[in-house]
Order: sequence, then C-alpha cells, then structure tokens
Amino acid sequence: MRVLVVEDYPPIRKAVAKGLREAGFAVDDTGDGEEGLWYATSNAYDVVLLDLMLPGIDGFTILNSLRAAGSGAHVLILTAKDAVSDRVHGLDLGADDYLIKPFAMEELLARVRALARRAYCVKNPCVVVEHLRIETAAQRVWCGPEEVHLTPREYALLEYLAMRRGEAVSRSDIWEHVYEFNSDADSNVVDVYIGYLRKKIERPGRPPLIRTIRGRGYSLGASV
Amino acid sequence: MKSSIRARLLFWMTAVMAILLLVFAVVVYEVLRQSLLEGFDKVLLASARTVSDAVERTESKIQFELDAHEAPEFYRSVDPDSFQLWLEHGESLAGSPSVNAGNLPRFSGMSETPIFQTVRLPDGRSGRAVGLVFTPKADDESGDAGPTEKVELVVARGTASLDSTIRFIRWLLTLGTCGTLVLTILLGAVAVRRGLKPLDALAARIAAIRREDLSAQIPADWMPVEMVPVVGKLNDLLHHLDDAFRRERAFTADTAHELRTPLAGLRSTLEVALSKPRKESEYRETLAECLEVVHHTQRVVETLLALARFESGQTVLRPEAIHARELVETAWLPLCDEVASRGITVDMRLHEGMILMADRDACRMIVNALLSNAAEYTDNNGRIEISGRIASESVELAVVNTGCTLSEVDAPRVFDRFWRGDPARADTGIHCGLGLALARQAAIALGGSIDVGIAGGTFSVRLRLPASSGTTSGVLPRPKNISPIIHE
Repeated sequence: MRVLVVEDYPPIRKAVAKGLREAGFAVDDTGDGEEGLWYATSNAYDVVLLDLMLPGIDGFTILNSLRAAGSGAHVLILTAKDAVSDRVHGLDLGADDYLIKPFAMEELLARVRALARRAYCVKNPCVVVEHLRIETAAQRVWCGPEEVHLTPREYALLEYLAMRRGEAVSRSDIWEHVYEFNSDADSNVVDVYIGYLRKKIERPGRPPLIRTIRGRGYSLGASV
Repeated sequence: MKSSIRARLLFWMTAVMAILLLVFAVVVYEVLRQSLLEGFDKVLLASARTVSDAVERTESKIQFELDAHEAPEFYRSVDPDSFQLWLEHGESLAGSPSVNAGNLPRFSGMSETPIFQTVRLPDGRSGRAVGLVFTPKADDESGDAGPTEKVELVVARGTASLDSTIRFIRWLLTLGTCGTLVLTILLGAVAVRRGLKPLDALAARIAAIRREDLSAQIPADWMPVEMVPVVGKLNDLLHHLDDAFRRERAFTADTAHELRTPLAGLRSTLEVALSKPRKESEYRETLAECLEVVHHTQRVVETLLALARFESGQTVLRPEAIHARELVETAWLPLCDEVASRGITVDMRLHEGMILMADRDACRMIVNALLSNAAEYTDNNGRIEISGRIASESVELAVVNTGCTLSEVDAPRVFDRFWRGDPARADTGIHCGLGLALARQAAIALGGSIDVGIAGGTFSVRLRLPASSGTTSGVLPRPKNISPIIHE
C-alpha cells in the first residue's frame, strides 16, 4: 500500500513516514504544498495524509484540486485545527477521515490501514485466500496452522495482492503501490519478490497461490 | 433601586405641570377675588354716599334723615346692611336699625378718603365695612351758618354671598388643577411610553445580539434622529468588539496550533522509536530530534509569556544606558554567516554616540526580532540597510530589507500575533509569527514605538526608543569613525 504524507513540520513528517514504513507501507513524504499536490496527482496513492496549514498551497486547496482532478485516493486530514467548522469543511471537500494533532501513532496506523482496505472494498481485516490467512492489523501471515515470517517488503507485496485477490495485477500496479517514489529498485525486483513469496507461502502438493498470467501480471488465489 | 427614564420623565413632567397649574390657579384666584371685592366695595361706597347725603347741617345742629325707600338695603328684614354715624367728638349721631344690637366698629384714623375693612357685624355675621369722614352739607335755609363739625360714617354689609362666590371659585380652581394634574399624569405616561418606544426597540435589538456573533449591526434607519448617533457608536463598538473577539479566537486557535504541532511531533517521534527495539544510534538520533522540538517549543512558550507579560505590564524594566551600535552588532553576529551565504549585502550605518536609555533584555529582544525578520525575509542577493539617527529625545533605528512580497495593506497586520503574511514561508515550527508582535509590545513598554512601511518590495521597520540624556543634549558630535560595516 502506498501512502503520501504531506506535512510541513519535519519532526511529524519524519516520524509518521518512518512509522508507516515500518508498518509495511510504501511512503512518499513532502513538506511543501505544491510538491504535495504534484505527488498526489502524478502517482496512484492508496492513502494521502494531508496537513492543512502548509507552505505554498494549503491542505484544503490540495484536497479540492485532487478531487477536481478525479483522484480517488483516500485522504486523511492530519491537523492541529480542531474547530468543528474545519473538520466539517475538510470532510465536505472530500476527505475520508480527520485526525487531530497530537495523535497516537497506533491510531494513525489503524486509520491508514482502514482507509487502505476501503480503497479495495475490503472490510475484514483478516483476509483468507485458500489455506493462506493474512491478519492485516498485526501484519501476520499464516499458511494453514503454521505462521509464515515475511520481510516488510514481502508482506507489503502479499497484502497488495490479497487486497486485489483474484484479479490480474500488473507489475506496474505492484510497482506503483508497493514501492516508494525514490526507490532505487528496478521493476525486475517485483519478479524477484514474487519468487521469494512463492517460496514462503506455497506448499508442495497444493495448487499454487500466486499464478502468473502471461502478459498481464500476477494473481493471488482463484478469480472471484 | 434602578432609576428609570420613564419614571423620571413622568415625575419631572408632573412636577413642572403642578407648579405651573398652581401658579396659574393662584393668580386667577387672586385676580377674581380682587375684582369681586372691588365691585363689592363700590356698592358699599355708593351706599355710604347715600347715607352721607342724608346728613344735613342746620343752623343749630346736624341732623340725619333717611327714608327707607331711599336705602332699602338698611331696612330689609333679612341680613340688612348696617351703618352708623358719629359726630367728631364721638357721640353717635344715627345708625341703621340693625346696629341696635351693638355698635359698628368706629375706624381709627378715618379721613375723607374711604377706608375698607373686613369686620364682624353686630349680629355676628362677617362683613365688610367702609369708613369715611365727611362734612355734612348745609340745608338750604342755613347757608354757611351752623356748626362745621365733621361726621364719621361706617357702612357695613354682610359678605356671605361674596364669600360663597369666592369659595366656589376656589373650589373650582382646586378641582380644575387637580383634574388637570391627574390627566397630565395619565396622558404623560402614555406619551412617555410612546416616546420611549424606540428605546425599547433598541433594547430588544441589543438583547438579540448573541455573544458568539457580534457581526450583526443595528439598523439606524428606523431610529429617531436623537438616537442615530447612539446607534452609530454602538455599531462601531460592536464592530471593534467583533474584531477583537475574532483576533482573540484566532490567537487562541493559533496558540493551540503552535503548541499542538510540536507536541504531536514529539509524541509521534517517541512512539515510533518505542514501537520496536532499536540500535543505540537510532535512539540517540530520536533524542536529538526531540530535543530540537523541545527547544523550538520553549522558544514559542517563552515568547508568548514575554508577550503576555509586556501586555499586562508585569515585566520589570531596569533602564540603563546602552550603546545602540553595540546592541545591533551583537544581535547581528549569529545571523551574519547565513546572510552572507545567501549573497545578501548588509549596510550598517550606526554612530558610536547613539545611547539608549532602556532595559537591556527588552532592547535585545526587539533588535533580535527585527534583525532575524530582515535576515529571514530578504531575497537571495538582496540588501539589508541598518541605520540610526537621533530624533528629539529618542534614538531611531531603521531596518530596511528588499525581497518583501507583502502589499501595503498588510502593514498594520504584521504586528498581529501569529500572523504570517507570506504563506510560502509559513512553515510550522520555523517562524511562528510572534517576533514583530513581541518587538512592538516591548517597544511600547519601553516608552518607544515601532512602525513599518511596505513599498515597492521593500520592508522597512522604524524603531524609536528613549535616548539617554547624554545623547540628546545638544547636537551629536560627528563620530570620528563612521565606518560603514558592509558585508558582501
């Protein structure tokens, strides 16, 4: 899941980006309003965390421009402005959630996870694909009765495939949603990570969980 | 008890009306009484003339002869008039039948000019009498012969009908006065109520104004002209109050924002650091970041506290002589490297002899704020000019910098707390928009002032502070070394 953090106060921006990355999200961050709008319109983010008082362009303008451009990214407003009128204004402009500073990191992560699930119309935080069970809240994966230990990147890849279970997911989609903007990896890395995942979650004697669909990408589980 | 305009108006209206009515009634009463009395006295005098004409002087004596038909008023049976005649030496000459009951009072000091007096008649009735002295005319036969003795005459008449007329007039006037007064109170109450209706309407309008929304203005078009200035002033006051409340709310919101943001930074940084075990170097990095946030928050809190103390006059100021040049140069030192790296030209022209008489800490605060502001907002390769001059009893420091993106209309707002005119520079945690607000409060506390001017991309601040007496006495000697400090 790919998240954009637009926050001008460096300590918050750094901490939130770090916390999200450690929680398995691919995170881009910026402290400038104009840059934030450019990021948001040029990449397919699952969730955008948006501060309101920003240099350059304020958060409301960014949100307005995003929605006017038809962006479907889920936007969580992150601000110290706690007036009811600000919250109502933000939600009415098309924000999906509103969190007032200071906030608990745990709550922020839970809200981002919820918004990310909502982006793929998945309500259950526990995704089951055949014998595979993914607990998105705890970021734990079970293959039958046995827990599988994944690296954060492997987990991010599996979670994205699980959110789109049954669909053919292209490499570029995976690339856009699992890797950050400044990532130095190339697109071949997707195939490499798919290989790692297969080794960890597939069991001999069982049908493959991740199928390669020629010319279209990969699919987790049978099509639904 | 609260005084009421309505009650006061009614009271004064009634009091003035009562006095006027009373004076009017007394005057009317007196005029009528006098006129009735004069009429009565005229009739009395005519009766007296009739009686005096009936006295004749013969050769040997003075005789009185009056027929009842000539003066029937003396001879009627009910309430007859009375008269009595005396010879000069006191002997009673004649009297009407009614004086049989007792003599009429003989007036002392009577003369030929009639004297009128209120008397008690012999039968006990109250009456009015006229007394006069006359010389009886001689009868036709005696000519001028005979006694020349004068005769005294008192004629009296009962005043029962006169008294009752006067009593009636008095009663009528009293009744009229009281009735008019009651009507005045009743009609006055109605008139006052109607007259003060706009006041009630104004009170209702004011009562309808909610504390949360002071932007409502009271329309003055339906108000009487006397109240238009009041409504105008009230609207002005409401406008100022609304403005002040808005600023206060904005200040509270901004303060909350400025304090919540670093708190949120601290909390997020610490929570992320504690979310899993980390290397020592990572913890060190986190602690350093947190310390940076704490320093910033401390600066904001201290600035807010200093502002609040200056505003409430709690700051203890210790004025001392301060060299303006030394003050500016010390404040400039920490900024000069960063300014030089941005290619900014600095022209500092300050005389050695400019000495301020002010509190050192407060002065440092002001100069720091002005210089950091200039250093921060000057464009790359721009120019900062710092100059000073001695005005009457004060030292004036001017800081002028290029690269200003504000417009002239922003000038009054630069001193508002948390106001950051340039949104592109409004980064949280870097500038909190308190510097100039603090500088102004401090300057006011020191007995000085600060003005800003914005023109053609140039921002200029002029600070005036009281000069030390040494500086202002006479013309400042031209310093030996006016060496402009120019950093390029």
